Amino acid sequence: MLAIFLGVRGRIRIHQGFSGTTLLRFASFERFTHWLTASCFVVLALSGLNISFGRSSLILPLFGADAFAAMSTYANTPTTFWRSVPARPRDHVLIWIKDNIPGKVDLEWFKQGGGVLFKGRHPPATRFNAGQKGIFGIVIIGGALMSLSGWFLLFPYIPDNVDDDAALDRDSCCDCDAVHRCPCLAHIYIGTIGMEGAFEAMGSGEVDLNWAKEHHSLWVAEEQAKSQAPSENTPRAVPAE
Amino acid sequence: MKVFIAALVFAVIAAVCVSFVLNSIQMPSSVAFTTSGARVGDPGNNLIGPS
Repeated sequence: MLAIFLGVRGRIRIHQGFSGTTLLRFASFERFTHWLTASCFVVLALSGLNISFGRSSLILPLFGADAFAAMSTYANTPTTFWRSVPARPRDHVLIWIKDNIPGKVDLEWFKQGGGVLFKGRHPPATRFNAGQKGIFGIVIIGGALMSLSGWFLLFPYIPDNVDDDAALDRDSCCDCDAVHRCPCLAHIYIGTIGMEGAFEAMGSGEVDLNWAKEHHSLWVAEEQAKSQAPSENTPRAVPAE
Repeated sequence: MKVFIAALVFAVIAAVCVSFVLNSIQMPSSVAFTTSGARVGDPGNNLIGPS
């Protein structure tokens, strides 16, 4: 679906081009937390796919019981260990909750298709737009539910009825994983190949001024008001002729 | 890139540390899934007995 969307919509470009002036979007600790969560997500998503589909339609029928057993055993190790790093969603909440509270501006963002569906439209957005706020909520709530159900999978003898509760925990964990996985794939798409200039936000931490003005205009205005962001009038180096 | 590498290293270190904790408090299935009234036949050669 993402490939079809890319083919139809094309890459979202910076209409005014790169300005050559950058401003800090995410500090080092914010990027550290993001990549810690992202690395855990990739491992959990792959092992979750194996739990959801490996037995019924993918690994077991195609490669046999031995391959499925070996793969599941190896996948269980990182899944078990990475799931038990509860600092991930907690840090996200502490760092970004104040910027992810929904507001009226988010309704306008949705009305204009998020600036993604229609070319040339850039709805105003604060530090995080409505789509990013949705991802934030899914990561926090979905991640917490997945961790909780995962802990019951780690300790299946805690509930009274092991058989029924273990099946419920496994299904709950898979459901949370699936709900979690789809929007995160869209997030990965838009942050890499889907939008020009977006990856730098989590790569170097600094984004181009024109990118920021097109996609997070209210945030840029706030930063410029605090004198923490350069403006068009900010002097910058000019190449010698 | 440094931040990305640091996050991966931290994830691996945290995973290894937590693995020691979990391994120390988790029970083997032959203990966790049986009651005092259950008898495990031929332990070591079936699926739930101690190996």
